[in-house]
Amino acid sequence: MQRILTYRFVATPSRKSPASHWLAIAAGLTALFVAIPLVYIFLRAAGAEAAAWQRLLQARIWQLLGNTLLLVFAVTCGALATGISMAWLTERTDLPGRNILRAMLALPLAIPAYIGGIVHLALLRPRGGLIPQALEGIFGQPVLTPSPLGFWGSAFILTLFTYPYVYLLSGAAFRSLHASLEEAARSLGRTPWQTFWQVTLPALRPGIMAGALLVALDILAEYGTVALLRYETFSSAIFVQLAGRYDRSAASVLSAVLVGLAIFILWAELRAQGQRRFTQIESNWRPARRIALGKWRWLAFLLVAGVVSASLLVPLGVLVGWSIQAFVDAQVLEAVFRTGSRGFSSFVWNSLWTSSLAAFLAVVLSLPVALFSVRYPSRASRFIARFCQVGYALPGVVIALSLVLLVNRALPFLYATPLVVVLAYVLRHMPQAVRSSESALNQLSPSLEEAARTLGRTPLQTLLQVTLPLILPGLLAGGALVFLTSLKELPATLLLRPPGFDTLAVRVWFWAAEGFYVQAAPAALILVLAAALPLAFLLRREQIFTDESANEHS
Amino acid sequence: MNTLDIKHLSKRFANAEFAAVNDVSFGLKNGEILALVGPSGCGKTTTLRLVVGLEYPDAGEIRLNGRLVASDTIFVPPEQRGVGLVFQDHALFPHLTVYENIAFGLRGRKPAEIRATVNEMLELVGLTGLANRYPHALSGGERQRVALARALAPRPVLVLMDEPFSSLDADLRRIVREQVRGILKAMRATVIFVTHDQEEALYMGDRLAVINLGRVEQIGAPEEIFHAPATRFVAEFMGASDFLRGEATPEGIRTEAGWLSQPTFVSQLAQVEIALRADDVDFELSEMGNGVIVERFFRGAFNVYRLRLDSGQVLHAFKEHTQILPAGARVRAFISAGHPLAVFQNGRAVSRGVMNG
Repeated sequence: MQRILTYRFVATPSRKSPASHWLAIAAGLTALFVAIPLVYIFLRAAGAEAAAWQRLLQARIWQLLGNTLLLVFAVTCGALATGISMAWLTERTDLPGRNILRAMLALPLAIPAYIGGIVHLALLRPRGGLIPQALEGIFGQPVLTPSPLGFWGSAFILTLFTYPYVYLLSGAAFRSLHASLEEAARSLGRTPWQTFWQVTLPALRPGIMAGALLVALDILAEYGTVALLRYETFSSAIFVQLAGRYDRSAASVLSAVLVGLAIFILWAELRAQGQRRFTQIESNWRPARRIALGKWRWLAFLLVAGVVSASLLVPLGVLVGWSIQAFVDAQVLEAVFRTGSRGFSSFVWNSLWTSSLAAFLAVVLSLPVALFSVRYPSRASRFIARFCQVGYALPGVVIALSLVLLVNRALPFLYATPLVVVLAYVLRHMPQAVRSSESALNQLSPSLEEAARTLGRTPLQTLLQVTLPLILPGLLAGGALVFLTSLKELPATLLLRPPGFDTLAVRVWFWAAEGFYVQAAPAALILVLAAALPLAFLLRREQIFTDESANEHS
Repeated sequence: MNTLDIKHLSKRFANAEFAAVNDVSFGLKNGEILALVGPSGCGKTTTLRLVVGLEYPDAGEIRLNGRLVASDTIFVPPEQRGVGLVFQDHALFPHLTVYENIAFGLRGRKPAEIRATVNEMLELVGLTGLANRYPHALSGGERQRVALARALAPRPVLVLMDEPFSSLDADLRRIVREQVRGILKAMRATVIFVTHDQEEALYMGDRLAVINLGRVEQIGAPEEIFHAPATRFVAEFMGASDFLRGEATPEGIRTEAGWLSQPTFVSQLAQVEIALRADDVDFELSEMGNGVIVERFFRGAFNVYRLRLDSGQVLHAFKEHTQILPAGARVRAFISAGHPLAVFQNGRAVSRGVMNG
C-alpha cells in the first residue's frame, strides 16, 4: 500500500553545536541574497518623485488594481471549481478511463499559458480565426463565436492552464483521506452530500488553499497571456513602462504595489492556514470507496474530456499540425532553422542551460536554509525559511526591473550576460527549491544522522555520506520544479536577456507576436516536451500514475 | 577504573519547566549492564544522549575509561568518543545493505579486517544469510539485531541502548531480549539500557537505576530495587502496589488491616505508608469485617479481588482461580506477607532489615 502520509521528525536544538554556526551564516546569506530585489524595489518606489506617484495614483493605479484583482479572483475561482471537481471525479468515482485522465489533467502544467493563449487565439480570433472562418465557409455568413480577447478570454485561458495546481494538490489530499473519516460522518447521521460539505471539503482545505495560493500568485505575475489577449494588469503595465517607455520610476511604483498585493495574499494564506492543523491517523489507512456515477458516468466523462481537450489535446494537436506544416514548407523551414545568425539549436540550448543552471543553483542555495530550519528550529531559522519564500511574491517583471537597475550599478560585469537571466530564475523560483528540500529533510529521521556521528563521522562527513544521499530524490524534485518553471518564464527573460540571446520561450513569443504561428510551432512544441519530462518525473513521485488495484486492495 | 563515570550531570532544555537531567551521578564497571528505568519524559534518554555526545551538558562531568569527555570546558564530539548507540527507531541507513550498515563504523581499517569483523558480527546476531538485504526487506526483530551488530562492530568502550525493543510486539520482544542479553554478555560489553518497562529492566540489568524527574531515585541490584525500594516512587513504579496508611511505633505498625509486627526506624509515633502487593494481602468472608469486595478480575490462574476498606482505602488481594466470591460481600482483610514490607514516611523508606528478614 502506498502511503501519502508524511512523517515529521522533530529535532531537538543543540545549544552550541559549531556546525549550526556555519549553517546559520550560509542560510542568512541566502536570505540576504533573496531579500535584495525586494528591498531594492521598495527603496526605489519610496524614492520616486512625488509627481510620479501623483500621476499614477490619479487614475492608472486604481484601474490596474481593479483589473488585476478581478482577474485574480475570477481565475482562482475558476481553477478551484475545475481543479476540485476534476480531482473528485478521477479520485473518488468510477469515471471511465480515470487512470489515463488523471495524468492528462496534470500535463497542462507543461504548457506555458501564453502558448495555450496563442493557440486559442489563432483558433477563435473574431476576424481571421480558424473556427470563425470555417463556420463562415459552412454557413456562408459570419457566425458569432466567443472571443478569446479581453477579460473573459483571459480568465478562460488562464483557468485552463492554472487549474492543475489545484487539481494536483486536492487530488493528493483526496487520496490521503481516510475512509473512516467519511464513514464516521455517515454513521453520525449525515447524508453523502452533507458529508462532502461538512467533512470531506474541510479536511481537504489545506491542499485546496495551497493550490489556490499558487494560482493567485501565478496570475499576479502573468505577463504573456494578458498582453496577448489585450487585458491590462499590473504585470503588463510594468512591462510596458520598462520595455517601451523606459520610465523606471513609474515601473518601480507599480512594482511596489504589485509586490505589496502578493505579500498580502501570502500573508492571508499563512493566517488562514496557521490556525488549523490536520493530523492524519496513521494506522489502518485505507482509501475511501469509489462512488458509482451510474447514468451520469458518460456525462462526467464528457466534462473531463472537454477540460482535457481544451487544455491539453487541442493546444498539442494544433502545435503538432503547425509543426508538420512548417516542415513541409521549405521556406518556413528555412526561417525556423535560421533566424539571424543563430540556428534553432541555439534557442534549445540556451533554454536548457539557463534553466538547468538555475535549478542547480536554487537547490544548492536551498540546502543550508532547509538544514538550518529543519535541524535547528528556532525563531531565527524559521524566519529565514519563511523569508526565502518571498520569491513567490516577486513577479518576473519585478525581478527583471530590480536586476536591471542593480546589476547596472553594482555588478556591471554581469550586465548584458545571460547570467542575469539565470539569476532572475533563481530568485524567482527559490521558494520551490526551499520547500522541496525542507519536506525531504522533514521526512529524514535525525537519528540516522546521529547514528553516523556515533559511528565516527564528523558533521560534514555525515552530511555527505548519509543526509545528501537520502534526500537526493527530494532535491531532484525541487530541481525539476525550478527547471520546469524557469523554462516557461517569459517576462524576466524578455527584459533581461542580452541582445541576440534567444531562448525557446522568447522565440515563440516573438514569432507569434508577428503572426508567424506555423514558424513558431516547432519551438513551442519542443518547449512543451522539455517541460513535460521533469513534470512526468514529479508526477511519478506524487504517485498520480499508481496502479489503481494496488491502491484499493492492500 | 570504571568504564563510565558521571558526576553531577545536569541538563535543562530551553523553554522547559524542569531540568531533564538533574544532578545525576553514577559509575559503571567494565562488562556491566545498567538498566535506566523510569516513566516517559523522566530524563533517561537525555542522559544517554549526553553520554554519547549528542547533547551538551549544562553542568557536570562525564569520563570514559578515565578520560574526560564532557565538562564545563571540554566537549568531545560523538565521533571521537567511541560510544555505540542503538536507537529506538534502529536508524538503519536505508541506502545501505545490512553488510554495509554493519561496516559503516569500521571505516579506516584494513579491508580483510572489516570483512572478518562484519562476518563475525553477522554470525553473532544470526543474520549471516541476510548480508545483502536492504533494511526495508527485514522484519522488526532482524532490524533490531542489525542495529545491535552495527553498534557493537567497532568494539565501543560502552554501548547505549535507547528503548531498543519498543518497536517490537510483546511476543517478539521477549524472544529478542533474551537473544540480545546473550549477545551482550558474550561480547562482555559494558551497556546502559534505557526502558520504561520495569519487567524488561529487571530482566536486562545487572543493576538498575530508577529515574524520576531527572533524578536518580535509587540504584542497585534488581532484587534490592524490587524488595527494598528506597522511595515511595520506586515502590509504586516497580510493582503495582497499594499504600496502606498506618501509625508506626519502633515495634510495629497499627493499620486498619491489623497490627504489623515489623520494626521501623521511627523513634516516636508517626504516620507511615506500607507498600502492599496483591500477594501480601488476604481476606476472609466476615459480616464483622473491615471492608467489602468491589470487583473481581479473573486472570486465569488466579483471581484478583479489589477490596475497599471502611475508610475508603483500596487494597488488592490474590485468591485461587476456583474461589469465586460475589462483589459487595463483606470481608475481613489482613496482611499475610511472609516477609518484611517496605514502609515509607514522607515518601522515604523507614523499614528495617527488609532485605534479609
